[in-house]
Amino acid sequence: MSLGEYRVLFLVVTGILALVVASPALSRLLVYPRTEFFTELWILDVSHRAENYPFNITCNQNYSVFLGIGNRLGYCAYYVVQVKFRNQSQPAPTSFGPIETRVASSLPSLFNITAFVADEAVWELPLQFSFDYVWDEGRSKVDFLGLRLNDVWLNMTDYTVSWDPDKREFRGFLFFELWLYNASSNVFQYHGRFVGLRLNMTAKTL
Amino acid sequence: MVRKMLMRNIRCWLVFLVALVLTFSVADTPFCAFAVDEADAGSAIAVAEGRIVVSYRAVSGADEAGANTSALLAVLNEAGLLLSRANLAYKMGDFDSALDSANQSQERLNGFVAQAVVLREAALQQRYWDFMVYVVGSIVGTVVVVCGGFVVWFFLKIRYEKTGRVV
Repeated sequence: MSLGEYRVLFLVVTGILALVVASPALSRLLVYPRTEFFTELWILDVSHRAENYPFNITCNQNYSVFLGIGNRLGYCAYYVVQVKFRNQSQPAPTSFGPIETRVASSLPSLFNITAFVADEAVWELPLQFSFDYVWDEGRSKVDFLGLRLNDVWLNMTDYTVSWDPDKREFRGFLFFELWLYNASSNVFQYHGRFVGLRLNMTAKTL
Repeated sequence: MVRKMLMRNIRCWLVFLVALVLTFSVADTPFCAFAVDEADAGSAIAVAEGRIVVSYRAVSGADEAGANTSALLAVLNEAGLLLSRANLAYKMGDFDSALDSANQSQERLNGFVAQAVVLREAALQQRYWDFMVYVVGSIVGTVVVVCGGFVVWFFLKIRYEKTGRVV
């Protein structure tokens, strides 16, 4: 072998060795920075699928779903999920347009669920709920008495749903709004996300 | 005669006044106790809320430092649930339950901030050593390999020039 060939061989071996030794540093330095920061919010059925959500609701019957939050904000987040209920005519939260301009429903929260989620972590809560209501046959409406949510009794005596003759159902919406704690201003702000269940209070079983 | 009637009237008024004062003092007692309960519950909730925020900031710092905060977050979520229950009970006028839940929420967070600070310090220490070993150590190692390579090549080259072979 000539000196030139030895030089090439030596350079290749040294280069490979240098790359191997430098790989731990390169793996930390050559990381593409995160550019998207957001929160995932979901609701799944009892089989952890987005398929068989409860719809026909019988009085005092238990139904189960899973409520989940995925934190991709880049920091440990303090969320509050506001549990609300509305009928067809009451205001829903807005779900279109930029997230910053979306507004929460003006309805009062029945219950607040607190969730602390680490960055890149997922938080999931099994929810079991049942409604207690009476059917006002004369006025074709359902008057609610309460909602039992994971053994917490929530008073719903001011809530009613009317009969929808087109869809032929007593339609109500149980929805979950996501609020995020802003550490700099020390207040919770609507995070522009909500999930909900469309429910039919089944008159047959009343 | 007039004087006698006047005295009788005054006596009647006095009896009425005493009866009135006694009635109000007896009737006032439960209202006072009720008001104290509400205030106690409200202040316990406010304290619990403040404590949760302080704990959140502590655990957030630990998370940012790279610590495994899952156990602490589980405790914080429990405390948050108790606070939610306290707020609900307060809204429904059940101040005893509100006070109880708020106190439980506070108790869950006893020593929480200290634990979070310890975790944060440990994570920072770990991060420092990770940086020293994996980044600084790796860069120094690379420089040593490259420089060592040149030195070895230098000697091999001299040897080649003297003997006509490297090995």
